[in-house]
Amino acid sequence: MKIVEANAGALTNFEVLDLLRSRGAGKDPTRVIASVSPSEFKVFDYLEQTPACNQTGEIVHKFVDECKKYDLAKAEILNVLNMRPSSAVEVYTIIEECDSRMDEKIDEYVETIVRSLPPHPSQAEPNDETVESKEENMDAQQAETV
Amino acid sequence: MFFLSELEQTLRLPPYLLNQPLNEAIKGELDSLFLDKVIEKLGLCISVYDIRSIDGGLIFPGDGASTYTVRFRLVMFRPFVGEVISARLKESTKDGLRLSLGFFDDIYVPVPLLASPNHSEPDPGHKDGVRWVWEYEGENYPIDGTDEIRFRVHNVDYPPIPLEHGKDSDQKDSEQKDLKPFAPMVVTGSIDADGLGPISWWV
Repeated sequence: MKIVEANAGALTNFEVLDLLRSRGAGKDPTRVIASVSPSEFKVFDYLEQTPACNQTGEIVHKFVDECKKYDLAKAEILNVLNMRPSSAVEVYTIIEECDSRMDEKIDEYVETIVRSLPPHPSQAEPNDETVESKEENMDAQQAETV
Repeated sequence: MFFLSELEQTLRLPPYLLNQPLNEAIKGELDSLFLDKVIEKLGLCISVYDIRSIDGGLIFPGDGASTYTVRFRLVMFRPFVGEVISARLKESTKDGLRLSLGFFDDIYVPVPLLASPNHSEPDPGHKDGVRWVWEYEGENYPIDGTDEIRFRVHNVDYPPIPLEHGKDSDQKDSEQKDLKPFAPMVVTGSIDADGLGPISWWV
């Protein structure tokens, strides 16, 4: 075995979930026919419990664009995407030296996260509709800015 | 949390796989070689992402199989220091917490990295188990298994594989060895900061 490149890029939880879904994980309730190994299913099960389960490529791209103005490190954006924090104290743990770097923008940033990323699966069921309408609003806003 | 790593491997393809398309056969061999295994410094292999190139196919003299050089990318689970991850409680002992991600169980939060000030109380449900309680402004916040627990990665260790099942070390460490089976990758987590710990503390 030879390691050509130890770090050939980071993946978000969503990308890994998407990969496993594209292999057929989740479609087969018996988990026998799909070409996914038991260890991959364990990862799939974990990721289905994370906020990544409702994300789409479009949402992720849009969010990364919105993060640009906050001057965050890639690892921080990745961590925010994976955790989907919904309050300032949660963002605070993820972003290094949050006090000096974010200052007053933190509330605005939390708002951006809550607006653009779908909520945690445990909180998602009751307000499915509001998410959709929020996305529509987003689209409308985007259209306006364009 | 997940990274891609590019590797090259010389692969002997046994002849019973000749009836399969080359790509599938090699993917299957790579799966059995790397899946759910830890590569030192690269982390735990989750999945084969793609196969970049397949070269060779030489048959060595006296060997009844073809040998390929394969370049491929793997999805690795490799938490970075400072990353915040949510996990579930697996075990709570006097040494601290053990957390699990479902596919990875070797996450430890030692006592000094628990939210402080804290104390432990015996857990009636489990033998040897304790429940850790965070004291904050006169109120007690126990860490139990109901919520997801967020921790920050403090350190990632790749302990060397123990080679010797030696005589003298065996006696000394026999108790410890019984408690902790060898783990090729150990993540040390911390929950000693605002926003970390069971989610219900903060939300």
